[in-house]
Amino acid sequence: MKEYDAVVIGGGPAGMAAADVLGDHVKTLILDENDMLGGQLVKQTHKFFGDHVHYASTRGFEIANKFIDKIEKKPVDILTSSTVIGIYPQNTVAYVRNGHEDQVKYKKLIIATGAMERQLPFINSDLPGVYGAGAVQTLMNQYGIFPGKRFLIIGSGNIGLILAYQLAQTGVEVRAIVEALDKIGGYEVHANKAKRLGIPILLKHTIVKAIGDESVQGAIIAEVDDKFNVIAGTEKEIVVDTICISVGLMPITELTEQAKCKIAYIPELGGYVPVRDERMRTTNPDVFVAGDLSSIEEATTAMIEGKLAAMQIVEDVKKIDLEKEISNEIKTLAIFRSGPKSLKIRSGLEKMGIVTPRIEMPKFSPLPNSENGKLHAVIECTEEIPCNSCESACKFDAIKVGENINTPPVFDPLKCTGCAVCVTVCPGLAIFMEKSDESPNATLGIPYEFLPLPKSNEKMWGMDRDGNYVCDLTVKRVVKNPNKTYIVYVDLPKEFVDVVRHVTYPRKENPFVCRCEEITVDQIEKVIDSGITDFEEIKRITRVTMGPCGGKNCKMIILGIISKKTGIPISKLSHGTSRPPVKVVEFSAFLRGDKK
Amino acid sequence: MEGRILDHPILNFTRKKRVKIFFEGNEIEAYEGETVAVALHAAGIKVLRYTPINGRSAGLFCAVGKCSSCLMEIDGMPNVRSCMTKVKAGMQIRRQHEKGDLV
Repeated sequence: MKEYDAVVIGGGPAGMAAADVLGDHVKTLILDENDMLGGQLVKQTHKFFGDHVHYASTRGFEIANKFIDKIEKKPVDILTSSTVIGIYPQNTVAYVRNGHEDQVKYKKLIIATGAMERQLPFINSDLPGVYGAGAVQTLMNQYGIFPGKRFLIIGSGNIGLILAYQLAQTGVEVRAIVEALDKIGGYEVHANKAKRLGIPILLKHTIVKAIGDESVQGAIIAEVDDKFNVIAGTEKEIVVDTICISVGLMPITELTEQAKCKIAYIPELGGYVPVRDERMRTTNPDVFVAGDLSSIEEATTAMIEGKLAAMQIVEDVKKIDLEKEISNEIKTLAIFRSGPKSLKIRSGLEKMGIVTPRIEMPKFSPLPNSENGKLHAVIECTEEIPCNSCESACKFDAIKVGENINTPPVFDPLKCTGCAVCVTVCPGLAIFMEKSDESPNATLGIPYEFLPLPKSNEKMWGMDRDGNYVCDLTVKRVVKNPNKTYIVYVDLPKEFVDVVRHVTYPRKENPFVCRCEEITVDQIEKVIDSGITDFEEIKRITRVTMGPCGGKNCKMIILGIISKKTGIPISKLSHGTSRPPVKVVEFSAFLRGDKK
Repeated sequence: MEGRILDHPILNFTRKKRVKIFFEGNEIEAYEGETVAVALHAAGIKVLRYTPINGRSAGLFCAVGKCSSCLMEIDGMPNVRSCMTKVKAGMQIRRQHEKGDLV
């Protein structure tokens, strides 16, 4: 049986970060069930929060690719499409590959099997069309499949919020995000990205039932009271074909249990979790854990934990002193976990005897926002979350976050040169560009990740932070960027420069009048507005009444529209010329000659 | 808005070789590298099996090989996770009824 110094189970962010370190020092094998490494990163299209060392501002799937490149260059054995089925005595891992069971031995083992999505039982929650949020991301972002047309998302944690935004990027409709609590679970900036698209986040709401026979055709949602009981009479039916559950994750602990690691129930960390020390060692001295299996957190913390576990293994096996590096990683983790969003994690870890050292979060006094008529950034990031990508990106020292990356950025408009690099790197898409002077119109730059990409001089709608229409505006220019966060600069009335936060193409739902030629009321009114009021002329321009029905369906409606717009009674309007044939006939009816 | 995403603001989807697979005897579109469940979803097929006790329709739930909601009969073999099984030319896929026949 093959034996390795280190075996890593699971090729997600934690496992890859571990293999990356291990590969430099010890004989390493990494096993993953999928056909490529990357874990859940491969379906993450958003830019990650964090710091530069941990791939902040890089999109999830790109982080996976970078890691894969690094690991493939190292003497690491990689076994993909290999499903680990159990851990056996004498440090043995059993796995199935290509339909055959095989075994390897390890000196040290890192289990980084991640988590799975929590189920939420409601009536018909087993129907096809009810998915875990991750499944929808897999279909959509990994395989490029539309998972449905109209979506309801249950749960407003980061996964639910990100999913709503990602769905909107493919052009489908997200009807609502429902959240049983009285506040949004995820980061404010992620919520803002969804809200300004007009996606409602319904707090104190839950799903009661999925509607459908063979698969989902709708859902009933309702308000809940403080004890999460449905308030009778508040039920509402919405038409959706897909319901996405994002109510949290739970660690997959089976393999740690089989490896004789002690398991504890710590809800703050996600449920049953393996007991481990600060360096990720479980109660079995040969077995380490990292990532979501050890506590449900971010990919960034998973990577740091993977590194930590790997460094300790290198110390164990090779007797190399890595104490300095290890304490650095522990400090980095502590900084990541020092914000208010990590409160649960900190108290969960304390139950395990791991105390996260207190890291000061200096409060900078905000600088006055001076309007000096120059193009400058506007940063709308007030929540304490672990990210300093804007500070790292600014070459002019205009943005300050400081040592604790949970500190919200402080911006100095006087130092800002208007380069807008921060707008393109911000993972929360929370930075905008503004220029306002004496003229009645102002310039606003908006980060934009949708198709089609607007063009200069196009007329669009300006939408506010809740996705409501504010004003018409004109696109001035679009700045492309290799990371695909483009900036759309628009010209708009000055009073709306602090109100508009998204642009969209005018989306007036318009009834069709001419069903043969598919002409809407709007199209006809536009022609009339341009000064053309004669029926025959409108007909020639728009093709109304020129389809197979010959105008039987729409002629009177069109005359009505002309009459309404011009004030001329229908009796005084010319109603065009009728030409044969008045019914659909085959061409062969007119053939002469061979009478057979 | 069904089937495959062609244009995406962030991602480029390059599809590999087209392969012929069959669902309940009918050919459906599939590309190398896709899983069975993905190809079926692209074709608008969401009901993947009927449950053993109540005969309820069931489909994909986790899509990453954990929940076992998507078990199907693939090339005569029942209880195969359709979300983890890559398509192969000529593959015969059927909805699983009850627990599936092993013989």
